[in-house]
Amino acid sequence: MFARYISGRVLQAVLVLWAAYTVTFVVLYLLPSDPVQLLLAAGNIDVTQISPDQLAALKHQYGVDQPVYLQYVNQLFEFVRGNFGESITKNVPVAQLLAQRLPSTLVLGASAVLLTIVLGVGTASLAVFAKVGWLRTVLSRLPAIGVSLPPFFVGLLLIQVFAFQLKWFPASGDSGAASVVLPAVMMAIPTAALLAQVLTRSLEDALDEPYVVTARAKGLSRSGIQWRHAFRNAALPALTLLGLLLGSALAEAVVAETIFTRNGIGKLAQESVLQQDVPVVQAIVVIAAALFVSINLIIDLIYPLLDPRIVRGHSVI
Amino acid sequence: MTNHRHFRHRAAALAGAAAALALVVTGCAGAASGTPGASTDSATPVSGGTLKVAFWDDQQGCIDPNQVYWIESRSIDRQIADSLTDQDPDSGKIVPWLATAWSINADSTQYTFTLRDGVTFSDGEKFDATAVKTALDGTFALGPKSILGLTYLAGYGSTTVVDPTHVQVDFTKPNAAFLQATSTTTLAIEAPATYQQTPEARCAGAVVGSGAFTLDNYTAAKSAHLTKRADYAWPSGLVTNQGAAYLDAIDVTYIKEDSVRNGELTAGTIDVAWPRQPISDADQQVITAAGDVIESRALPGISSILVPNVTKGGPLADADVRNALQKSIDRTTYASTIFWADYPVVTSVVDSTTPFATDESKLLAYDPDGAKKLLDTAGWAVGADGYRYKAGQELTLHYPLTVSGAGEQLLQDQLKQVGINLSLDVVTAAQNTQKLAAGDYDLTGTYLTRADPSVLGSSLDQSSSKQASAVNSQDAATGASISELFATGLETPDDTARGTAYAALQSKLISTGSAFPIFERVQIAGVSNTVHGFAFTSEAFLRANDIWLEQ
Repeated sequence: MFARYISGRVLQAVLVLWAAYTVTFVVLYLLPSDPVQLLLAAGNIDVTQISPDQLAALKHQYGVDQPVYLQYVNQLFEFVRGNFGESITKNVPVAQLLAQRLPSTLVLGASAVLLTIVLGVGTASLAVFAKVGWLRTVLSRLPAIGVSLPPFFVGLLLIQVFAFQLKWFPASGDSGAASVVLPAVMMAIPTAALLAQVLTRSLEDALDEPYVVTARAKGLSRSGIQWRHAFRNAALPALTLLGLLLGSALAEAVVAETIFTRNGIGKLAQESVLQQDVPVVQAIVVIAAALFVSINLIIDLIYPLLDPRIVRGHSVI
Repeated sequence: MTNHRHFRHRAAALAGAAAALALVVTGCAGAASGTPGASTDSATPVSGGTLKVAFWDDQQGCIDPNQVYWIESRSIDRQIADSLTDQDPDSGKIVPWLATAWSINADSTQYTFTLRDGVTFSDGEKFDATAVKTALDGTFALGPKSILGLTYLAGYGSTTVVDPTHVQVDFTKPNAAFLQATSTTTLAIEAPATYQQTPEARCAGAVVGSGAFTLDNYTAAKSAHLTKRADYAWPSGLVTNQGAAYLDAIDVTYIKEDSVRNGELTAGTIDVAWPRQPISDADQQVITAAGDVIESRALPGISSILVPNVTKGGPLADADVRNALQKSIDRTTYASTIFWADYPVVTSVVDSTTPFATDESKLLAYDPDGAKKLLDTAGWAVGADGYRYKAGQELTLHYPLTVSGAGEQLLQDQLKQVGINLSLDVVTAAQNTQKLAAGDYDLTGTYLTRADPSVLGSSLDQSSSKQASAVNSQDAATGASISELFATGLETPDDTARGTAYAALQSKLISTGSAFPIFERVQIAGVSNTVHGFAFTSEAFLRANDIWLEQ
C-alpha cells in the first residue's frame, strides 16, 4: 500500500517537472526574440557588423537554425542528461553558473525555512498554549502584522538597525554564516506569520474537538493532550501551507538577494529574465520546479506519519 | 583650448548639529590630482591597509581593460594596467607614462613612441616595443568585441618595432584622437602572455599588466581583489607617489542598493561608495554629517543625450519638430530638480570636462514659445486634450527604456507643455535591443565616457558606427556633413584645427536636432574620512597610487 502511494507520488513529480520544462520552453519561444541577436547585443556587437557566414555559424552553435520541435526534443534530451546549455549573455555554461549561484541560495532558503518553522510553530503554540492571558492575545495578533509588512521595507529596516547601528551582522555579501542571518529573517517574517496564523486557528479548533474532552476525561496530562493529540491533528493544514510557502522562497530570494547583495539564483533569475537569457531561465525554472516537487513529495510522505488514514484512503471507510 | 570645470563639492558638517549642513563648493582644484584637501593635508602618508570600494553593479561582467566599456571595471583596470601616456585631468594635456616621448606626422597617420626602460609586467616579463606591438595588434584583433577599441584604433594599419625602446604605429587614415586613446585603459598595454588567452578568459580575469596593483581574483558582479606590487616605480608625472602604492590591497564589491551602499560607508564597513547615478542631495548630507567626504568630477565624453530616429517616417523626420523638441527641454530645471541646486547644467553634446567641449547653451536655451511656433508651422495643431495633432495623428514620441525614473518623467512633463506626448515605453533589456535593431522607436538615450570629443563618433558618426543611434539619427545628407566634421577632427594633431572642427561638430549636432543633450554626467563618490590622497583620472576613474589610509 505504502509503496504504491510513493510510486504514484514520484510519477506525479516527474510529470510536473516535464510540464514545467515544456511550458517554459513554449513561453520563451513564443517571445519575439532572436537568441543570436541577444547574444551579440550582450557582447555589444551589432548584428549588422557580423557577416552572414558568422551569423549562420552562431545560429548553428546555439542550435537555433533547426525547426522548433527538433530544438525542443534535442534540448529536452540534453537537459535530461544534465547538459543545460550555455548562457547567451554571460557566455559560460549554465551548469557552471548554477554551481556558482545555487549554494548561496540553498543556504539562504534552508535557513529561512528553518526560521519560518521555528518562529511560526513557536508563535502559534505559545498563542494557544500559553497560560498568561495577555501573552496569548499579543501573540495571536502578531502574525497579522508580520504578514502585512513589505519584505523590502523589513530588509532595509533590519540593515539599518542590526548592520549599521548595532553592527551585529554584515549588511551585504554572502560569505560566512553571519551574512545569512538578516536576509533569512527578512524572508522568514512573512512566511512564519502566515504559518502561525493557520496553525493558531487549527490548534484552537483542535482543542475544541470531542477527542480532547475525552482525553481530558481520561486524565491525560495537559502537555500530553496539547502535543500528542491536538498538535498532531492541527499540523496537517500547516504542513500543506508550508509546502506552498517553500515553493515561493525563490521569488522572495530575488528581493532578499537584491537588498543584501547576495549572488544567488534569485538575482540570476531576475537578470536572466530581463535579458531573455533563455537557457538560464529554463534551467532555473526547472530547478525551482524540482525543489518545489521534492519538498511537496517529502511533505506528502510525512502526512501518513501524522495521519495513517491518508495512505489507507477510502478503504478505511 | 579646453573648457575644464574640475569642480568638486566639499561638504562640512557643522559641529554638534547633524542636520545643519553647509554644502561648500570649493571650485577648481589647483592640484593635478583631485586629492581631497591636497593643499591642507599635511599629514605624512603611511603604508598599509586595504581600501574597500563598493561599486553599484557589474553588468558587462568583464575585467579585461582592452575589451571592457563598463566604467566601474575601467576604474579597477586603471590600477592594474598602465598606458603609454596619461592625461592631465585639469588641462586635458597628454603627458608621458610608459612612453617618455612621441612624435606625430602632419596628417596623424604615423605615431612614433620612445618607451620607458626598466618597466616590467607583474608576471616578470619585460615591457618593450614588442610588448606594445603585441598589445595593439591584440586589441585591434578583438574587433567588435572591444566596442571602444574599435573607434580608438579606427584606421589601424600596423605597429612596427623599430628597436626595443622605439615603436611606430601606422594608420591607413588620419586618427588624431589616437594620442589620447593611448592614455586610456582601453589601450592599456598588457603582458604579451595575456594575448595568448582567449578573449573570454581575459574577460574573466586572466589579465596581467604593469600597474601598481595586480589582480588576484575577479568574480563578475561579485568581487575583485587587488594587491600592490612592491617593485612598482613607473607612474606618470600626474601621480605624487612615484613608488609602490601605499595601500597593501584593494577590495572591490558590488552593492546594488544605494541606501545600503551609502550606509556601509557611514557605518565604516567600506571606504569608498562609488555609484553610477549621482548620490542624492539628501544622501550626500548624511554622508558628510558622518564626517565623510563627497568627491565629484564630470565624466568626460558624451553627455546624457537623447537621439532621434528620423528614418521611420515618424514626427522626428521633420527638422521643425526636432528643433521644437530641442527648445522644449528645460535643462536648468532638470539639473536642479533631478539633482540639486548647483548641479551643472549640460552645455553641449559632450560633458564640460571633455577637451574641446564648447558652450552651446545658446542653442540649448529653453524656449517653449519658440517650440510652439515651430510646431504650428509644421502643421501640428493643439487638440482638446492639450496634445498636438496632424491629420488625426497625435504627436507622440515613443521612447523605449528599461527603467523610467524621475528624470524621464520630468522630461515627459516638460514636453507636454508644448503639446508633445512623450511615451515612456518601459521594456526589458532584451526587448529594448530588439526595438533598437528594428528601428521601432522615436527617441533613444545614450552616453559614453572618453576624454576626447571623437567619442561622439561611436554613437553618431554614420561612416564609422553601425549603432542604431548613428544609423537612424540623421538623414543621408545631414549624416554626410556630420561625418565630414568627424573626419576633419581626426585629420591633424594640431589642437587649434581640431578645436575648430569639434566646435562646428557640436553646434551642428545640436542645430540639426541629431542629438538632444539632457544632463551633464557627474561621477560622485562618497569617500571615508580615513582615506587620504583620493584622485580621479582625467576620465573620472579611480587612481589609487596616492591613496593612503589613516591607521
